[in-house]
Amino acid sequence: MATSPAHALPDTVPEAKVLLRLRNIGKVFPGNVALCDVSLDIRAGEIHALMGENGAGKSTLMKIIAGEYSATSGDILVDGKSLPANFDAARYGIGLVHQELSLVPALSVAENIYLGRLPRRFGSIDWRAAERNARAILQRLGVDLDPRAPVGRLEVAEQQLVEIARVLERAPKIVLFDEPTSALSDSERSRLFDVIRLLKEEGHGIVYISHNLSEIMAISDRVTVLRDGQLAASLPIAEASEAKIVGLMVGQALAQQFPKFESDIGQPVLRVENLVSGTALKGVSFSLRQGEILGVYGLMGAGQAELAGAIFGLTPFDSGEIHAGETPLKDHSAADAIAARIGLLSRDRRQSLIPMQPIAPNLSLAWLSDRAMLSKLEVGREKRESADYIKMMRIRPPSMTQKLLHYSGGNQQKVILARWMSSGSKILIFDEPTRGIDVGAKAEVFAIMSRLVEAGTSILMISSEINELVALADRVLVMRSGLIKVELTREQLSQEALLLHSH
Amino acid sequence: MAHEMTTSSPASTKADRSRLALRDILFKAGPLIALIALIAYLSFASPKFATHTNFANIGRQTAPLAILAIGQTFAILTGGIDLSVAAIAAFASATTAVLMTSPLVLFGVDLGYLPIPVCLAAGLMVGLLAGLLNGWIIATFKIPDFIATLGTMQVFRGVALLTTQGQSVPGPSSTREMPPAFTWLGTANVAGIPASIFIALICAGIAIYVLKFTALGRAVYAVGGNREAARVCGISVGRTKIYVYAISGLLASIAGILLVARLSAANALLAEGEELRSIASVVIGGTNLFGGEGGVIGSLIGAMLVGVLGNGLNLLGVSPFYQRIAQGVVVVLVVIFDQWRRRSLNKK
Ligand SMILES: Nc1ncnc2c1ncn2[C@@H]1O[C@H](COP(=O)(O)OP(=O)(O)OP(=O)(O)O)[C@@H](O)[C@H]1O
Ligand SMILES: [Mg+2]
Repeated sequence: MATSPAHALPDTVPEAKVLLRLRNIGKVFPGNVALCDVSLDIRAGEIHALMGENGAGKSTLMKIIAGEYSATSGDILVDGKSLPANFDAARYGIGLVHQELSLVPALSVAENIYLGRLPRRFGSIDWRAAERNARAILQRLGVDLDPRAPVGRLEVAEQQLVEIARVLERAPKIVLFDEPTSALSDSERSRLFDVIRLLKEEGHGIVYISHNLSEIMAISDRVTVLRDGQLAASLPIAEASEAKIVGLMVGQALAQQFPKFESDIGQPVLRVENLVSGTALKGVSFSLRQGEILGVYGLMGAGQAELAGAIFGLTPFDSGEIHAGETPLKDHSAADAIAARIGLLSRDRRQSLIPMQPIAPNLSLAWLSDRAMLSKLEVGREKRESADYIKMMRIRPPSMTQKLLHYSGGNQQKVILARWMSSGSKILIFDEPTRGIDVGAKAEVFAIMSRLVEAGTSILMISSEINELVALADRVLVMRSGLIKVELTREQLSQEALLLHSH
Repeated sequence: MAHEMTTSSPASTKADRSRLALRDILFKAGPLIALIALIAYLSFASPKFATHTNFANIGRQTAPLAILAIGQTFAILTGGIDLSVAAIAAFASATTAVLMTSPLVLFGVDLGYLPIPVCLAAGLMVGLLAGLLNGWIIATFKIPDFIATLGTMQVFRGVALLTTQGQSVPGPSSTREMPPAFTWLGTANVAGIPASIFIALICAGIAIYVLKFTALGRAVYAVGGNREAARVCGISVGRTKIYVYAISGLLASIAGILLVARLSAANALLAEGEELRSIASVVIGGTNLFGGEGGVIGSLIGAMLVGVLGNGLNLLGVSPFYQRIAQGVVVVLVVIFDQWRRRSLNKK
């Protein structure tokens, strides 16, 4: 049950000021209770981590604080006064970095950052000032982006940083981060942490959501765990441990996180030779063998996303060769890649979902590519496999009718993963497969991946999660500015080696 | 979803839940409830409304609109729109009518009157080809559906004028009246129910099957729901569009032929404004104008609402001028309501 966060704790120095207090918040969606009786405090100078399984209600709670959803019951108090029903979060200095990026792809970086509030001079928009300010705030986050570039052309990690910059630019007193690091690699992450620590020193109140336990242990002062929409516990970080948090999230102790497995590695199934694409890929060569998990690691902009796009036929490449088995792929479309039995789980979820459809049609979408238009659907198989994956991957709610739009981010990710796992593709390109997936379900994802490679599937796993690569990959290619810097075998693989070669 | 309900949830949560569930049902059934309410009101307001003759009349008048709306549903579900349906209906039915009322002369050889089935097939073929042309333009040149069909709408009307030489058919150049076996389609009753209603229902049944149980149906919803996602799953957006507009064109020709059979006359300006009424029917029926959501049953209800409203206003003696205004107001109100409903379901 909820432990009252109000009483003084031995290791927190003088009681910090409560900036915002949630009292007995409840939120009901049609056919779905997202939050029930949640109370917590956001304090000045405190980094408050919010944890919980996929669908526990974290994002919903953040949106309620940011005034995007109205709570069905309960109060939000600022300075002891209850906020009105449709309050303006900006007026109370509340800023939310969304889990699902909410930028406008066609607009430029500067326009997105200043959306609706472009600086004016003599009544007209002062573009120079906007661009200068945008560049400055991005530099604070450690990225050098052209403020005039359209956001749609940026990498997901860059978009995530723009989203963060947009919120920070408004200088909110309370900053809510909903999985801000899920697409960032290590160095961008640590830069973001520096910024967050700075905000904390300046007395901001911070809520931080992540599924990465070590991150939480490193950065937060207090951890609150939600389970099925209820407060499971709220404790200072000194009293928490990874195991304890996981136990609170799942309601039971979890077995070993990453199962190890061995599989027989066979002949090359995908060969890439001297691939050049603009300035993003400058001559990449490698081969992926049957039954292998080949990791790809690199910092933001090292070319991983372009590599995936080129192989799958989403972006044309200038020169070089790609062979899937005996089939050469050149100037090909996604349909050609799928015909060559390649599947791509892209990093940007919004690119993959049919939001208004329930799980089953989303799952089976990739089965259709080689069917005649008027052929009959495999309704039975679709139902069966949906039910199986819902159970295996703990997709919640386990509904066959709820639209995907109304699922939490992590649960949406599970559905797309299930789509490609069920597709029968022999070569799977997974770009950040575990993005936003909770600890419990991750183990299941890895178990399914191991079953797939045992059955002869090959996986190209692009990931910024070093420990996942170390645990799973048979080899890892480390990329840096469009080139493969080094190939690490399983024996050479370590956290240090990956970091060393990627910088 | 029992695990979400917990013993400690306060009673208010349960009440909220059932209140929301009720609202959800009311929202979904909105058009049907409106239709029933309208029928109830008209039965009360006009003694001539709730009669067998009048209902048969409404059915005969609404069946072509319903068929157009079915095709329009496909186009709108993919995030497109087919502005050329009424023009195709006119063009296709004019073709059938001309072939039926005058002997075919090819290269100076008089082939006599073609059999009625052949005339019908020719009309349907015209509709199918016109639709294919729409789809091909959209798929090949990647121009917005709206623009493409706005253009072809004019083209098809023009070709229809050429076909009929700007006259009503049968007209001066015709050598006989419409054969009764043909006009039977638009006027006859089967078991007391107009034959055209059966035709509309068969079209609806096939359309529902295609949307629910074939790869094409999934592709339609996927392309309208998230074009990018469809593409990365290997679904060809262009091919889907071609199928969809071909279906819409074919259905438009069926609607046109039924209309001509009922009126016993064809005309290049037939069904003017029906493209807008078909779009209105689809939107009233709850299909999302931006694609990806909705279906044929809603469009049928929408078409019936439009049909009953027109019939009711006639019976109440409202002038046609006001009828147009009323229909326009209804469409705008429905779209406003629909926007509000979506926002409140998806957000708050
Ligand atoms: N608009 C909505 N309509 C209906 N149900 C919703 C809606 N938004 C969220 N939900 C439901 O509310 C619950 C909580 O979702 P929420 O997004 O808050 O989870 P989360 O803790 O952020 O999970 P994740 O770690 O996957 O991001 C889920 O069961 C979800 O399906
Ligand atoms: Mg979330």
